[in-house]
Amino acid sequence: METLKLEVITPSGAIYDGLALSVTLPGDEGEFGVLPHHATLTTLLKTGVIDIEKEDKTVESVVVNWGVVQVDEAKVVVLVDGAVAIRGENESDIAQALDEAKTLIHDISDSNIAIASVSAKLESAAQKLF
Amino acid sequence: MANLKEIQRQIKSVSNTQKTTRAMKLVSTAKLRRAQELASRSRLFAEKTNQVIAEIALRIKCQKVGGIESRAFVEIDTPQMVDIIFVTADKGLCGGFNMQTIKAVRKLMDELKEKKTKVRLRGVGKKGIEFFKYNEIELMDAVRDLSSAPDMQRSAEFIRTSIEDFYDGKIDGVYIVYNGYLNALTQKLHVERVLPINVDGYDCDEDKESMLEIEAEDNEKMLNSLIEKYVEYNMYYALIDSVAAEHSARMQAMDAATNNAKEMVKTLNVKFNKARQESITTELIEIISGVESMK
Repeated sequence: METLKLEVITPSGAIYDGLALSVTLPGDEGEFGVLPHHATLTTLLKTGVIDIEKEDKTVESVVVNWGVVQVDEAKVVVLVDGAVAIRGENESDIAQALDEAKTLIHDISDSNIAIASVSAKLESAAQKLF
Repeated sequence: MANLKEIQRQIKSVSNTQKTTRAMKLVSTAKLRRAQELASRSRLFAEKTNQVIAEIALRIKCQKVGGIESRAFVEIDTPQMVDIIFVTADKGLCGGFNMQTIKAVRKLMDELKEKKTKVRLRGVGKKGIEFFKYNEIELMDAVRDLSSAPDMQRSAEFIRTSIEDFYDGKIDGVYIVYNGYLNALTQKLHVERVLPINVDGYDCDEDKESMLEIEAEDNEKMLNSLIEKYVEYNMYYALIDSVAAEHSARMQAMDAATNNAKEMVKTLNVKFNKARQESITTELIEIISGVESMK
């Protein structure tokens, strides 16, 4: 399987830096997926969830509040303001990450629709992990 | 005898100073480690943001993409008024750290004055503010307690005035001057123009490879948002980098001070021993000559 190089970078460091099969991003004008060899583009991200399909086909979700993504044929660089990765060793870790993610989106987004849709996605992502 | 006591007092006072400077060095070393970690984590983000911005700016400049009229991408030949934002420490005792920044600011001001550009100074950090106040140079803004504890929110609020004034056309440029961290022994002075975006270091030829597409219609919003973040982040990064540099400078200065104190104690000890011997000799001579005269 072909992979793309993905970097998710926040002001306090990289939260994902590695290979991925595909990545789904919450673009300003709608959600879009990126596979290897995607055409070059630079666009804004809005509050939402980034779904990263990793090499072992598991999906990791990262909640972001604002960002810019730069895609080229081999590489995807996502620059975000604040981000929380939904992952952890055990249930309580995941639950904690989930709480952090919720505060993040509540702090930033003022539209209830956005919060609701992101929360729904979050829950379903979390369901898979539990 | 009075001389002996005097020297002893001096030795004591110098070794006390030495204790203080050594403690300060240790404190700075610990703080430096934390600041350094923060700076290195943020460096990646800063570099990437600058890359993205530079690529876009280059594209607009080299290929003359029409329709994008953001002021941030246009070189202004004769700026009327610019903002200089400088970052110094809140505390002293860190060698030439603050002075270097201040000198760089003055140099920049002189250069701009030659071009007949007016300057608005905005200062962060007590030391720099005090210097310009003392020299009766007017500061438009003075923020304390930010450079010692960088905070994204506060730094963003601080820089926003400049961004807004830039878009409103009140100013034609924004410079950030700060002393950054290079390694534990050296600091590097940065004089950076954040607005309009600087593409001096890049070549149009290099960019041919890039496939980046920019369309004018829907990108104005994205660009503005990105530029705002870029400037805010540069400001924040300047603060973080400056803290790391401040601690490394202080660590060095305090190390030098400790060594100097050590030297001084050594010479004072020699002096003390000499004086002691001298007084013993005098006493002996007095006794001997007393005995001699009794014979």
